[in-house]
Amino acid sequence: MISPSDSNTPKLPAWLGALIPLLIILLVAGLFWFLIDKPDDSIDADTNPGISLSGKLKPGQTYYVFASEIEVFPSNLKNESWDRGKNAPDIRYQLLWKGNSIFESITKDDSLIADWSGLSVELNWKDILGKSVSPDDAIKAARIRYEKNERVEIVVEDVDISSDDDIGRYEIEMDSLSVGKNEIKLTKSSTNAIRKITLRLLPMGSNLKDLVNIMK
Amino acid sequence: MIVTRILISLASVFLALGLLAPTLTITPKAGDYTWLIKIFAPEQLDAITYSIVGVIQKLYQMEDLFLAVLLSIFSVVSPIIKLSLYWIATSSNLGKAQIESNLKKINFIGKFSMAEVFALALIIVVIKSFPGGSSAHLEWGAYIFTLSVIFSLVVALRLDSKQS
Repeated sequence: MISPSDSNTPKLPAWLGALIPLLIILLVAGLFWFLIDKPDDSIDADTNPGISLSGKLKPGQTYYVFASEIEVFPSNLKNESWDRGKNAPDIRYQLLWKGNSIFESITKDDSLIADWSGLSVELNWKDILGKSVSPDDAIKAARIRYEKNERVEIVVEDVDISSDDDIGRYEIEMDSLSVGKNEIKLTKSSTNAIRKITLRLLPMGSNLKDLVNIMK
Repeated sequence: MIVTRILISLASVFLALGLLAPTLTITPKAGDYTWLIKIFAPEQLDAITYSIVGVIQKLYQMEDLFLAVLLSIFSVVSPIIKLSLYWIATSSNLGKAQIESNLKKINFIGKFSMAEVFALALIIVVIKSFPGGSSAHLEWGAYIFTLSVIFSLVVALRLDSKQS
């Protein structure tokens, strides 16, 4: 084991040599940590770089639009209690674009503040047994293409067994909207009992993470 | 002995990289309902990459102390001790008896380290983290770690031939 060249070097205790591999390992590990193991700030592979998730709407772009929350005043258009004083209204809304109803929400029973998710899936036995459900089916929102001076109308109703009562309707100028959350506060009048509308918009073609963040 | 020491140094370098570098990437899937999970819990489907040290850390976080300690000893401590003993074995200060004693220790330690434990670590993390429908593939760290094992074997063979 003794080589002639080694005999000229100063003699150190043999056990000190045991530290050399350890020191090499620690040095390389430290260098690796410093040079490579940094937080990943790369762009998510699922992100569509051509789509802006903030700011004003872009003409020509199609957007998912839905009301995530609607608050109504405690009394109806006639300044009377809702549902003859028994319960709060059963709220449902419709979105109208270019004179056509393009989306109708589910009804939220007995609410002064009703909220909806832009995403929901109703699964039943048929789905479990192999029926395919596409992501588009899960998105509960209107699809509207934005152009300058575009308007969308929201109609809010109190759903009753006999006949539905108007809560109010409001025409929204899309120029005033931005991507994400938009709050519209309204005043009580003889034609309006809506206190606040929270509208959410998301460009179509956004990645699923953004879809979840803005719509759920 | 210089060549042997260079090989030990390289094995040490590869061991350090092999322990810290990405070793295994697991991509969870949920069959036909993958898109649904992507919508409601997208973070559940993020591909996760582990290093060997990351595996040990994960086991520790999962409060599986027994396995964390076991893997630490067998895949980190034991290879380091083995390389340290190799280095001592190449020292010119040792007598023949000391060298033989050292090689016995190396043979003993070597039984517990490296390849088998590495495979075990990978299997454990796959089973523990993402059962069903997921895929896993090896990253470059696994190959670097294998290089460390190979260099370590070459060192052992050289020391054995010197002894004989």
